[in-house]
Amino acid sequence: MTVLDPVGTRSAQPAKRRRDRRFLRALPYLLPAAVLYVWFLAYPMLDAVRLSFYEWSGFRSEDPEFVGLSNYERMLTADPVFWTSLKNSIIWVVLSLLVPMTLSLVLALALNQKMAGRNVFRAVFYIPAVFASITVAAMWRWIYNPTLGAVNQILEGVGLGSWTQQWLGDPDIALYSVFVAAVWQGVGFTMVLFLAGLQQVPQELIDAAKVDGAGRWQVFKAVTLPALRPTTVVVVILTIINSLKVFDLIVGMTGGGPAQSTQVLALWSYTQSFSNHSFGMGGAVATVLLLLSLCLVVPYMIWSMKGEEH
Amino acid sequence: MPTNTPTRLATGVPAALAGEGVRRRRHTDYVTVGLWISLLISAAVWALPFIFMFLTSVKSRADVSSLPTWALPTEWAWTNYADAVETGDLWVTGANSLLIAVVKVPLGILLAAAAAFALGRLRFRWHRVLLCVFAVGSMVPIQIGLGPLFNTMLSLDLLDSRAGLVLPYLAFGIPYQIFMLYGFFRAIPDELEESARVDGASTFRIFWQICLPLAKPALAALFILDFVATWNEYAIATTLLQSQDHWTIPLAVQGFSSQHSTDYGALNAFIFMSAIPVLIVYLLFQRYFVQGAFAGAVKG
Repeated sequence: MTVLDPVGTRSAQPAKRRRDRRFLRALPYLLPAAVLYVWFLAYPMLDAVRLSFYEWSGFRSEDPEFVGLSNYERMLTADPVFWTSLKNSIIWVVLSLLVPMTLSLVLALALNQKMAGRNVFRAVFYIPAVFASITVAAMWRWIYNPTLGAVNQILEGVGLGSWTQQWLGDPDIALYSVFVAAVWQGVGFTMVLFLAGLQQVPQELIDAAKVDGAGRWQVFKAVTLPALRPTTVVVVILTIINSLKVFDLIVGMTGGGPAQSTQVLALWSYTQSFSNHSFGMGGAVATVLLLLSLCLVVPYMIWSMKGEEH
Repeated sequence: MPTNTPTRLATGVPAALAGEGVRRRRHTDYVTVGLWISLLISAAVWALPFIFMFLTSVKSRADVSSLPTWALPTEWAWTNYADAVETGDLWVTGANSLLIAVVKVPLGILLAAAAAFALGRLRFRWHRVLLCVFAVGSMVPIQIGLGPLFNTMLSLDLLDSRAGLVLPYLAFGIPYQIFMLYGFFRAIPDELEESARVDGASTFRIFWQICLPLAKPALAALFILDFVATWNEYAIATTLLQSQDHWTIPLAVQGFSSQHSTDYGALNAFIFMSAIPVLIVYLLFQRYFVQGAFAGAVKG
């Protein structure tokens, strides 16, 4: 429909007018959403890129000063926290693709079976997902409290007192402690996505495979898994994107500490802008995050648009 | 319920099932029982934080520091809940959050539906490109734009106001909703629209009386998702809101946990109460969540 007519065909003029008319008809429906989108989403994001070439404290009394690429130079050469946060963001993405994704696929497969109490099970795994991340952070900060927290108390209680840790106070493990909270919160949502995908697995195919004598594992491998492929692509993309967005949990549990050991890109950009009063440096980190996200999102969009045409 | 289920599973096998079938049945049954037990254990682990939270929310300060987390309180300190309402300013922050959600969620869905209708039904020349632009916006981390967003709101004199919060909330909610509704509107058969046009229906009538009602399941799913997301949003709120009178629930939770960090009884009581609206929404629409309302989101 939107394919360009070859230029010079007889119908080009009227067709163009018809398309213009279509656009004019669509405009009132499109305009409010588009204005909001441009003004409060697209513009701020692009402005962050612009600011990355300026030095600016964010105070209105002061004008931004153009400094070229020097923010990037500083970020890459003189800002070890940037590298920590990049590394942590990557660790977070990789771990999220391994742990919660596998877990939620297994749960979805199990809870797709007819069994007693199925809806209760689904609810138990899903409910953490409706809690605000910042709330989950508050909960887990308490759970990890060295003396009053449940984790250390349970370890003491079962005689593993030597395993107790400063879960959020030890730079070597703090990131992973936060990640556990993220798994607890996030598995339910991914599980629901997989469950929705499993509804689209054709039951006739499963029955046919069973009639042919296929075991559970064979049915899974030959029927379920291939049918889940589109769902899996969506889940992978969402998992990566959501990993890059992690912010609330870290703010609430560690604030990026101890010693910046749990810093991630999204939070470091924010901290540079608002706490360190350097909108330029914050913009540079934001630009890196934007580029990383676009590298993932744009190919995915092209893939899914192609799929839609057929 | 959990206690009586294994027996039900075991007796669920029709005893009359004769001959060769029996052995096979029994084999699968063990697998199912094993699966069920491991699910029960995992679910128990998953529920543990909630159980601990509840037990702590009814403990006095003395009990919190002297008893282990899993112990029952020596006396049930329900006053924690009243105290938490007071200290956390629950009524004010809850009213703020509710007001924002009640304005933002329906309005956002309506605007997104209108745009999705334009993109999906009134296919004009660049509709696909525009859809892509919206979709990309729905996936990029919001934190990228927080600094400039702060400046924008400052120059509009909308910093630290509830109306000022609704605008970016709309902007960040709409793209995903457009993306989802686009698929629904596309799936409506062209004949339906054509026959309505032949009958003289205006574009607006086609949108309002044909497309919107057909998309009801998607609209309901979006409503739930968006309500929960709005109620829980923290990053934009913490950037734009300053005075405590304007705080939303997530800011109140964070404020509570950083200012009264050792008052775990009241903190946990506050956390429970702060989630009541989303839990109600979840319970009301449980079926939607669990039985694949997201089918539209996961394009097969």
